[in-house]
Amino acid sequence: MSYHFGRKKTKWLPYLLLLPGLLFYFLISLGPSIATAFYSLTNATGIKGATINWVGLDNYREFLFMGRASADNLAALNRTLIFCLAVTLIQFTLGLFIALLVNQKLKGTNIFRTIYFMPVILGAVIQGLMWRLFLYPLGGPAAKLLSLFGMSSEFLGGQPTEAFAWVIFIQIWANMGTTMMIFIAGLQTIPTEMYEAATIDGASTWQVFRNITWPLLTPSVNTNLLLNIIGSLQAWQLFLVLIGYRNGTQVLGYLIYATGFGQTSGSTSSSFRQGYAAAASIILFLLVLVIGMSVQVILQRRERRILG
Amino acid sequence: MRKLKLFPLIAIIILTILLSACGGSNQAEPAASEKVTLSVLVHQNPPMVAFMETFNQQFTERHPNITIDMSVVNANDLSTVSQTRLSANDIDVLDIFGFANGAQPYMKMVEPPNWQQLIDAGLLMDLTGQDFLKNYDENTIKDAGSYNDKVYSINLGRVIYSGIYYNKQLFEQYNIAVPTTWPELVTACETLKAEDVPCMTAGGADGWPIFVGAYGLLGAMYPDQASLVQGLWEGTIKWNDETSMEMWTKMQIYARDMMEEGASGVAGDAAPGRFASGAVAMFPGGSWYAPSIEAAQPGFEWGYIPFPGSDKAEDNQYWFGKYDQGWGIAANTTKKDAALLYLKEFSEPANYQAFVDAVGFIPTQPTAKLNTQLGTEIAPYLANFRVGYEQYWTPPKGAGQFANPWASYFKPFGTDDDPQVLADKVQADLQAGLDAVK
Repeated sequence: MSYHFGRKKTKWLPYLLLLPGLLFYFLISLGPSIATAFYSLTNATGIKGATINWVGLDNYREFLFMGRASADNLAALNRTLIFCLAVTLIQFTLGLFIALLVNQKLKGTNIFRTIYFMPVILGAVIQGLMWRLFLYPLGGPAAKLLSLFGMSSEFLGGQPTEAFAWVIFIQIWANMGTTMMIFIAGLQTIPTEMYEAATIDGASTWQVFRNITWPLLTPSVNTNLLLNIIGSLQAWQLFLVLIGYRNGTQVLGYLIYATGFGQTSGSTSSSFRQGYAAAASIILFLLVLVIGMSVQVILQRRERRILG
Repeated sequence: MRKLKLFPLIAIIILTILLSACGGSNQAEPAASEKVTLSVLVHQNPPMVAFMETFNQQFTERHPNITIDMSVVNANDLSTVSQTRLSANDIDVLDIFGFANGAQPYMKMVEPPNWQQLIDAGLLMDLTGQDFLKNYDENTIKDAGSYNDKVYSINLGRVIYSGIYYNKQLFEQYNIAVPTTWPELVTACETLKAEDVPCMTAGGADGWPIFVGAYGLLGAMYPDQASLVQGLWEGTIKWNDETSMEMWTKMQIYARDMMEEGASGVAGDAAPGRFASGAVAMFPGGSWYAPSIEAAQPGFEWGYIPFPGSDKAEDNQYWFGKYDQGWGIAANTTKKDAALLYLKEFSEPANYQAFVDAVGFIPTQPTAKLNTQLGTEIAPYLANFRVGYEQYWTPPKGAGQFANPWASYFKPFGTDDDPQVLADKVQADLQAGLDAVK
């Protein structure tokens, strides 16, 4: 077996070159993840100098089994799954549909691509503030539009289910551009000769999509599905900006932030429970891991079956 | 062998560079004449921020070697930002709300409040014995800024959150008497609605302003709020008993019938302006909104009354509130002299009086007077000031998310429309926590 970098002088070179990246990965990603797992077994507050006590699995027990709070946590978990399902399905379908539209060789498609992608670059705070203004119930644009039909709504301040539905909508609006761009990149890798051959053979638009576009988009489909699932399971910023801590609307990501930084009770002197929040984070991590890995296994099998 | 030793050496160098990039800076204590930048953190309250900018300017004119770098954050984010910046040694003087929510002997397994966590971690400077403390009311220093017999904060004022602002011109126009009882308040709202004038508004987009407005209802039912909290913990008071049911029934009327449609979208900062514009007749809210109302519409005629939650006028003569903003100093500051000087000058009676005049806080310096219109409005009941439920309440671990007396649970802000069903749910959520910590 040949060794690419030799055995003497340059033996350590590849490891040396990898070292900065590995150190960076450890400091920024893996290290904090391991620390989170450790803190989940303590009563850490996140305050420098505060005593940290080992509490074993108490945080997990409290999160999953203690009183009505655990039922609320499980409801947030359930809501997270609903949010994930709704966002993934709609964002994926819409992103694919729009990618197909703006991938046509027509004038002005670049402008539409830019418009559809624009929300992605805004960031959650700007996105949230824009929609809060748009959905202002006392004379905001959406309220005025509804009033033309004799209707009214409290929008984000209304019933929790309505507020939750708006966050789903805004999350899709905010991230659909990324899904679209990945699909466009995938569409542009498909050889045009295949479409030409299919057209000559008399294939309909649906047949072309089903037998050429869809199978050859498999890598983009896999990437998008995984990104959408993981992104929506971890969502919390839009919840913070759009509706804050409100009963019946929290998802797990936001619950972690709120408990970790004393935002749950409405009191300005709430305690910081970062050990408990770390336990909730590990539960979310396990959820993302199980769903993410399962989906990945299914998608890889499908990819092997289709593309060989 | 020489070459092998090179690898760990390079690794150590890279690691050192990376870690040093993450490290904080430790400055030496500046000499008195040395240029100093004092980092100050306050929460968002427009009149207070405006006052602080003026005070800072005057302070730097008197002490040209000191520059003030003031950061303003939303009240909800104050504790998070304080904790982060204290941990990073990145703040010198910080705004701390009056000490509240301390663990009581009858509470079990509760977490200490944020201010206590900061002191226990050694992040706040002990101010005990500083001369400027003598300018403040002794009880305030004890109640709102002390812990384990040491002083960590000077509290700058009390605020009321159980009052209603009313538009005098609209009341006069529709011949409405200022309500002193709940039935009178209901009648006033019905009269206004019949004239197509929305009765009340509040900053519903921020969540808490909806239930803050209804503190008067809670206070009318339970005037001694410390005893209420103890009773809830010990099970002698329940959220679905007869007294509480009266409160829930009235809260539903407040949320459903009195609040204007769309109040859930009004931001907390925007609500005073909406009231001052004359769009609504009343605005249940805290005393800290008075300067914003005056600034939004100079000359606007308004009054401020205790929320008449009880059917008896004599039960509606209390103010409920809390100790608001205070100053603390970071224990690890390298600019101790400048930070103490800042607090000393702020505490001088003339400066403090100007602060009270600007922000409308009920003074905590005995020599200061609340000379504003708000001072006149609140004076008749000021002897009846009581610290509110929110300042005493700490939920038991395991309590559900509905274990509080908030009007915002009712439609249109929440999902509930039956007071009895809601009361049972609130009590069940509380009881689950009490049972869990037994």
